[in-house]
Amino acid sequence: MLISPVVIGIIVATLVLIWLIAVFNGLVALRNRVQNAWAQIDVQLKRRHDLIPNLVETVRGYMQHERSVFDAVTEARAQAVVAGSNIPVRTAAESALSGALGKLFAVAESYPQLRAVENFQILQEELTSTENRIAYARQCYNDEVMKYNTTQSTFPRNLFVRMLGFSTASMFAGMDADRAEVQAKL
Amino acid sequence: MLNAHPTGELTEPNARPRFEPRDRESFFAAQARNRRATWRMSVLCVLAAALMGIPLSLIITPLLYGVALIIADGVNLFSPLPPEFWRQVSEVPRFGRVALDWLLQQKAADPQALAIGAAVMLLPGILFSLALWAGVNFIFRRSGTGGAVLALRAREPNPSELKELKLVDVVQEMAIAAGLPAPQVMLIDSPGANAGIIGASPEDARLIVSRRLIEDLNRDELEGAVAHLIGSIGNGDLHISMRMTAVFEACGLLTAVMNAPFGPQSRRILWRMVRYSLLRRERDPQEAVMVADLLTRSAGLEVDDIDLFFDATEKKSRLRSIRNFIFFPIFFTNTAVKLLLWFFSWAVLGPLMGLLWHTRQYLADASAVQLTRNPDGLARALQKLNEEPGEIPGGNWASHLFLVRPRRSGSTFATNAQQRQMLAQAWAASATSASAPMPGNSADFAAISRQVPEIMRAAFAGDERAAAQLRSLYQSVSAADPELAAQFPNPDDLIAARKGDLEAMSRLRAARPHPAALGQAGKQKDQAPSSPETPSLVGFHASLKRRLKRLALLGAHIDPVARDRKAGIVILALSLLLGPFALLGILLLLLLIVVMTMASLTFVVIWLAMIHQLFALAGSPSA
Repeated sequence: MLISPVVIGIIVATLVLIWLIAVFNGLVALRNRVQNAWAQIDVQLKRRHDLIPNLVETVRGYMQHERSVFDAVTEARAQAVVAGSNIPVRTAAESALSGALGKLFAVAESYPQLRAVENFQILQEELTSTENRIAYARQCYNDEVMKYNTTQSTFPRNLFVRMLGFSTASMFAGMDADRAEVQAKL
Repeated sequence: MLNAHPTGELTEPNARPRFEPRDRESFFAAQARNRRATWRMSVLCVLAAALMGIPLSLIITPLLYGVALIIADGVNLFSPLPPEFWRQVSEVPRFGRVALDWLLQQKAADPQALAIGAAVMLLPGILFSLALWAGVNFIFRRSGTGGAVLALRAREPNPSELKELKLVDVVQEMAIAAGLPAPQVMLIDSPGANAGIIGASPEDARLIVSRRLIEDLNRDELEGAVAHLIGSIGNGDLHISMRMTAVFEACGLLTAVMNAPFGPQSRRILWRMVRYSLLRRERDPQEAVMVADLLTRSAGLEVDDIDLFFDATEKKSRLRSIRNFIFFPIFFTNTAVKLLLWFFSWAVLGPLMGLLWHTRQYLADASAVQLTRNPDGLARALQKLNEEPGEIPGGNWASHLFLVRPRRSGSTFATNAQQRQMLAQAWAASATSASAPMPGNSADFAAISRQVPEIMRAAFAGDERAAAQLRSLYQSVSAADPELAAQFPNPDDLIAARKGDLEAMSRLRAARPHPAALGQAGKQKDQAPSSPETPSLVGFHASLKRRLKRLALLGAHIDPVARDRKAGIVILALSLLLGPFALLGILLLLLLIVVMTMASLTFVVIWLAMIHQLFALAGSPSA
């Protein structure tokens, strides 16, 4: 039995269509993961903002002479909150906040009474964890972006992705120095 | 394990790593490599299962035909079936004969008839086994994990305690790094240090962590351990594990189905299984664990209903011997199935699944490195856990889902790190006194936990020097921690008890080392361990040496393990010497299986023919 070229053409076209659908759905899933990872960074930054008033409240009584240290923390937090979605300003403010927090915990090292307070220990753990979570959220975002971009730019998908309306995402850079500094002090 | 293999200590992070950069592997590359390896192994596993399916269906298919024939005969008695149907039925054995003759006597056969014959002989059995497997898989996937957690006596962590809060935080961090919803964490207060995951899917996965783990590991190590588990969840290991355990459970179900007409034990298992799968509303998750446990165990080689049915030690009566004579073919069938299942789960399917699971573990290790970017943390955690891997009470059935292979802990006392350190110091101090019979090496806690009971026995047997060392140990322990000392026998009591002092004896009995731990160990002994890895020749946990080697390739600062040449030569010589015998044994076993299969086939066919004739006789007067 001979199969006519038309039938072959229809079969090939169907296969290509199925492949295109699979590529499109895969990319949508990856894009959602990228967006989710980006949102997660914000969630963790917000969590840090929420923890700070508590920390300042706990520390105030013990560190009367170190006003400048926790004033810096409060101020950096306020700036970060005000910056909102203004990314460059926000990034700078969050970076300053990380630095100020690092300094605060470093100074707290010389107050044994404060370190013995259970509430402070738990707050310190929460903030350490939040710093880690921010770092891991960024790492996750970068991993997802890499996966998304690699999927888009490999042959033969790269011929079609623009047509399907996808574009590469950009990685998160910077702030790593702050993270190293904060972690070293804990 | 650590003592047996000179695994090498972790060097300081700033020490020069032995691996050159060109030897390194990126964690993405390692993940891709292990994913490919998983694919290869799963293809092999499917092939092995198919290989097992051929003789298995040769045994099961006639039974299925038998059941169908009896039902048809029964129906025929009341409302006669058309002769066309009976003509079709008589075709079945003819096609089967063609295939069997071709196989056994090399008789040439028409390919088409041969294909039909093979299909007739194999398909029903294969479909039946597949259906059992899919059913078990479906039923247990539907059930959650709450019952499993209950069975392990786990509790939720207390967020107001710093260490438990830390654990919860680390789990959150790692879940964020993996981009997964954070699994629920459950703590177990058991003396061993280990951690694992349970669940049917990533959505209802739970992390089981023993309290000892968070005592023993620092934050980096804890991150590594948790990242391995979360990576494992993210890689979909729970689904794979489900499918693997379902194979063993389906084997158990098959045995139970075959035994069901002959004994109450199998009927009870079947009934529980049916009841469990039908009760959609109030599905008690604990029941799932019980049913799974029963099924896995019923696949074992233990004495079962059929053996009891033909029990020769029962008193003989004429009725009994007639009954035994009628039913004896089923004995061959049962033995053939059992031997087959046992052989495949021990030597073929089990080891292949073990190797498959090793690739999942390497993959999860590589994922952990991706999440933490710190291969040292996981490497150190693995080394620490392997020194004394904890057994999780009640967790046998899921032992392959734990970080390191759970082993019954050698030490029953000194459960937290502080106590261990103190005890080690006291032990070292007791050895410094002159003529101490035991070396007091404080570095190796596992050795201490072996030596202390030994010296207790020696002291009780009347060894003066041992008693002196024990007394010195007892004094320093009771000075530092009276609570821990209460778990030790007082050396003076020991000596008094030897002389027959009853009061001292009762005091000794009261001072048992960690009664809770002993009680658990005792309880577990009555229960046959029922994890899927028990019957397998190859364990489901990859060796520490290999895991560390791969972690070193990913950048962990571990000295590569020196190859133990002598041990290698000994193993080679032994395997050359014993290999032929093992091969012969396996061949004999296979031969036995073939003979049993053929005997079962022959007897079942004769049996069926007789039943059919009986029905015909019963039917003829009325027809």
